[in-house]
Amino acid sequence: MTGADPILEQAAAWIVRLGDDDPAERAEAERDFVRWKAADPRHAAAAARIDGLLGRVRALSGPATARPALAALAAAAKPRAARPLAAGAALLLLLCLPVWAALSLWPPAYLLADLRTGTGQWESRELADGTRITLSANSAVNLHYDATSRRLELVSGDILVDVAKDAARPFLVDTAHGRIRALGTRFTVDRRDGETVVEMLDSSTSITARGQPAGEAPLTITAGQSARITAAGVTRGAPVDPASLADAWTRHQLVVSDRPLAEVLDELSRHRPGRILYDRDQIAGLRVSAVLPLDDTDRALRLLRSSFPALRLRTLTPYLVLVDAPP
Amino acid sequence: MPAADAHTIHTLYVDHHGWLQGWLRRRLGNAADAADLAHETFLRLIASRDALIGLQEPRAYLTTTARHLLIDRSRRQVIEQAYLAELALLAETLPHYPSPAEIMAAVEALSQITRALDNVPPRAREAFLRHYLEQQTQADIARALGVSKRMVQKYLAQALLCCHLHCPALAEHGL
Repeated sequence: MTGADPILEQAAAWIVRLGDDDPAERAEAERDFVRWKAADPRHAAAAARIDGLLGRVRALSGPATARPALAALAAAAKPRAARPLAAGAALLLLLCLPVWAALSLWPPAYLLADLRTGTGQWESRELADGTRITLSANSAVNLHYDATSRRLELVSGDILVDVAKDAARPFLVDTAHGRIRALGTRFTVDRRDGETVVEMLDSSTSITARGQPAGEAPLTITAGQSARITAAGVTRGAPVDPASLADAWTRHQLVVSDRPLAEVLDELSRHRPGRILYDRDQIAGLRVSAVLPLDDTDRALRLLRSSFPALRLRTLTPYLVLVDAPP
Repeated sequence: MPAADAHTIHTLYVDHHGWLQGWLRRRLGNAADAADLAHETFLRLIASRDALIGLQEPRAYLTTTARHLLIDRSRRQVIEQAYLAELALLAETLPHYPSPAEIMAAVEALSQITRALDNVPPRAREAFLRHYLEQQTQADIARALGVSKRMVQKYLAQALLCCHLHCPALAEHGL
């Protein structure tokens, strides 16, 4: 510290060294400290002053008083000293917020995917082998093609695959929940939070869940059937209509039959900028069967309301819609 | 105290004590507290008699000192409340509840420590409290603050020195 008494500075340094947790260093400091004090009476006096000051602090350090003392010191700490720190923290938070928001909206796996679509975007792509893949909004896939297999990893979202025939290389779709093995076919794969849903438009696929014991036969589903893959295993779902499903993908529609309203709102969210907020508990009992336009989510929301008169939609801004069902 | 200083203080007291007490009474709305603080202000003045040399605006000086005392007092109340509140929370786990005299001494020491720590940079302050109040080892503090032990020792020395410079009373009490 500039302008401080050099003797006091030394005394402070000595006293700190005497508190070293390494016994060897402490012993050495003690030896040297005695010598330093003996060298000049002012040294001893300075050390006694610093030590006296510390004595007052140490008196409060017992188990009974340290916590109340810390609480009191925190309460009385000068706000002036704290403010730049708080402002700095606030600024840091502000700077980190977009990154956090971006990461929560688009996790790294999504950002690093080979193919991906943003909110409200659709994309169709013909892959090297002639397979056609359509990505719905907010979807991401990684492609792993090699000489022996064609593997597509669905990181998030909803895809329609029209697999080109290649007897030598099977076509596989992997999600966090399981694997779908196509046997030359057209189907959709929707990766949701706790499950993956497969719907068959043509031909058939065989499906295994990730946690399925080896040796257990995969479930085979054919056109017009669906399956759900969860951690628990693969189960058959409700039948689907291949023609209207194909239609829905061409026209960018969401076809739902008997699905919880919350899930439908989540799907709609993927197709519109901003957010749809709802109280999951309040709308828990509501289930939807509908065909909803995904390119016009405002209309989709209005359609939903018309089938649920109890539903209240409040558009706070074009980017924030509140959905609830007041009792 | 040299005679000239004693004379200066006497003159100051005679000329301004009544006025200061009135000034404080208007602020505190309480004659007894105002009398106490006016008295304390003059005590502070005597303690820092260097400041009296060439004093041009005695009333400005007195009110500044009194204002500091007022701030100290409100901080002391904050300290006392926080200390007692935390103590009450711990009451059941304490081997013995501190006596009123012990509490008073602790609050007094804490207000001096608070004042002393005002000018200590935040990291040094944290190292200081962790080491001397919470009795954490220097190695533990180094880990918690993400710095070397050598740096922690620098922080501690800096805090000690800063406390000594800004609150000599803390050191004197201890002797």
